[in-house]
Amino acid sequence: MKPIKLVHLYPERMSIYGDYGNIIALQQRMDWRGIKNSVVNIEVGSKIPHDTDLIFIGGGQDRGQVIVADDLASKAEQIKQFVESGGPLLAVCGGYQLLGEYFISNDYGQLNGIGLFNVVSKATNQRMIGNIVVQSDRFGKLIGFENHSGATEYVGRAQPLGKVIKGFGNNPHDKLEGITYKNAIGTYLHGSFLPKNPKVCDWLIGKAIAKSGQSIKLKPLGDSLEKRARNSSLGRP
Amino acid sequence: MRSLFAILAAKTAFRINRLTGTGGTSLPGMVAQKIDKDILAKLIKNNFPRGVIVVTGTNGKTTTTKLIADILESNGISYVYNRTGSNMERGLITSVAIESNIVGKVSAEVGLFEVDEAYLPKVCRAIQPNVILVSNLFRDQLDRFGELDKIARSFRNLIEDLESTQLVLNADDPLVASLGYQLENEKKVTYFGVGDYSGPKLQHDRTADSIFDPFTQEKLYYTQHYFSHLGKYRGKGGAFRRPKPDYQANNLKQNGIESIQFDINSANKPVVLKIPGIFNVYNAMGAFAAVKASLNLEDDQITKALAGSAAAFGRSEVLNYNGREALILLIKNPTGLNQIIQTYLLSEDDRLLVFIINDSYADGRDISWLWDSALEDLAQYKGKVLVGGSRADDMALRLKYAGIKDVLAESNEAELLKLILKHSSKRSKLFILPTYTAMLSVRSQIVASDELQKEYWQ
Repeated sequence: MKPIKLVHLYPERMSIYGDYGNIIALQQRMDWRGIKNSVVNIEVGSKIPHDTDLIFIGGGQDRGQVIVADDLASKAEQIKQFVESGGPLLAVCGGYQLLGEYFISNDYGQLNGIGLFNVVSKATNQRMIGNIVVQSDRFGKLIGFENHSGATEYVGRAQPLGKVIKGFGNNPHDKLEGITYKNAIGTYLHGSFLPKNPKVCDWLIGKAIAKSGQSIKLKPLGDSLEKRARNSSLGRP
Repeated sequence: MRSLFAILAAKTAFRINRLTGTGGTSLPGMVAQKIDKDILAKLIKNNFPRGVIVVTGTNGKTTTTKLIADILESNGISYVYNRTGSNMERGLITSVAIESNIVGKVSAEVGLFEVDEAYLPKVCRAIQPNVILVSNLFRDQLDRFGELDKIARSFRNLIEDLESTQLVLNADDPLVASLGYQLENEKKVTYFGVGDYSGPKLQHDRTADSIFDPFTQEKLYYTQHYFSHLGKYRGKGGAFRRPKPDYQANNLKQNGIESIQFDINSANKPVVLKIPGIFNVYNAMGAFAAVKASLNLEDDQITKALAGSAAAFGRSEVLNYNGREALILLIKNPTGLNQIIQTYLLSEDDRLLVFIINDSYADGRDISWLWDSALEDLAQYKGKVLVGGSRADDMALRLKYAGIKDVLAESNEAELLKLILKHSSKRSKLFILPTYTAMLSVRSQIVASDELQKEYWQ
């Protein structure tokens, strides 16, 4: 089989909230099933490979985001085309904001996004911090931690990732969290997102395999530890 | 008059605390502050004829402060310090108020305080210290501190505002070193660093945050990389580069987990530090540089004291638990945990690993940092790992994804302590890695059981 190629976008500047956990989860859940895979780190100035099967982008400090926003402009068409053709993508926190229309930061003014997601984000003086639980139609309960001062609003047509049961989500008022568009997901959940939400992880892996033009049925994994960690997280304030 | 009442109130609160056994070193300070909001400045500014030293940074504050205290102690210099690591405003007030007389006079010559990064600007504007030592800035409790850049910016604004404070900075941390660059009002800056390191390194270090030129944002070029973003670096074009350290540790030699030795500025006599690891070399070098910058002591007088120094409370502290040697190794962020892994856990002794992960406010509510740490470096570890704390199941999950198979989770502390005995023998070394609140709790349990045993045998 052809190895599945994961692209980690900007790990040096955009991986501050346990974002590596998402890459670790994707890789391990493929390894455990004997699915060959590799991770390519793409930093500012380098190109996304044409045979990419999945893209991940995490969150960063505001200063890192300024440089990343600049660089993303040169990758915008390729990323959009990747998603339009069914490529799976996960964007967390700062990465989610920069794949929207724009992000207005406190210190650096407006940063243009690439407009993949129909959202706009704006820094607020309120930090939205804490454990978060989201009910998603497609994935069931999603569990994570959020820590952001940017508030995100939908513009135009948008499919939320889910409804907030506990925590903030996109912003302090509408009780909605994240966005999905085709096979792309934007979310504020870290902590890390994929290890504790294996359904989302396996869904992304399935889409990545399809993107690579192969067909492999995903064997179920014994997720007992995942379930335990989910349950005990639900009990935390 | 107001400050007189404030001091009296703090002293009373402290005595009541001690009598009732309800610890808490911040309450007396809080009471005093309620009565006189300027009490901190009054207590500290009118005392300490030989100066006030402040220690801050992400990791190593408590150890560095203790090393400085040991240096002062062994050279007969009297001092006051916040020994318990209570390092916010109120903790500082308490530590001075209990040592002062009723009009706020302290007999000690030096004031020595570790200060929480988030409180540094406020505290230092009030007390105008003679020396601020900044050891390092790593990602840490992002839910509480916010991002590194913001912390650094608040430090920089503070430094610009202070009139006569000297800086002691880690040359090997680009963000810390940059605090001494291009200051508007010239200040004395003393740099310390490490010249070379050839000891063990981790394969999965994901914690390098400040690898960009703080002024141009271009990536720094490293000729040597020790851990996280510490090493020898220079920016493109060379305007910003690692400053030449005034005090540099060379020829580091790790002796198992017993000690580490090094020399300072290539002096003939090596220093043997009883707390191992390159991170403790940084702590010792910071202490050395801060003392050199502020007090008139010879190198020998300092290094002799360093060699005699033992670990601070809960930081590489060795205790006895039912005949087993138990090391308590506080962990609170990925860089700190990585340093513990690198220093202690890569060897093959008969040992039991115990992680205790709590998510109370003082631990940091967010435990996602566990995923940024280099636990994959332990994938070859064959023994059992016990995990406890309110986030035991999360830690078990993290270890599963790191490829570690034999993991047992127990969030109840009493049960966990029993499991530790069950899965170890008197030959075993226990490596207990707790977060902050877990450390306070498990440490007191182990100390209590040790005392109980001693009484029995007497």
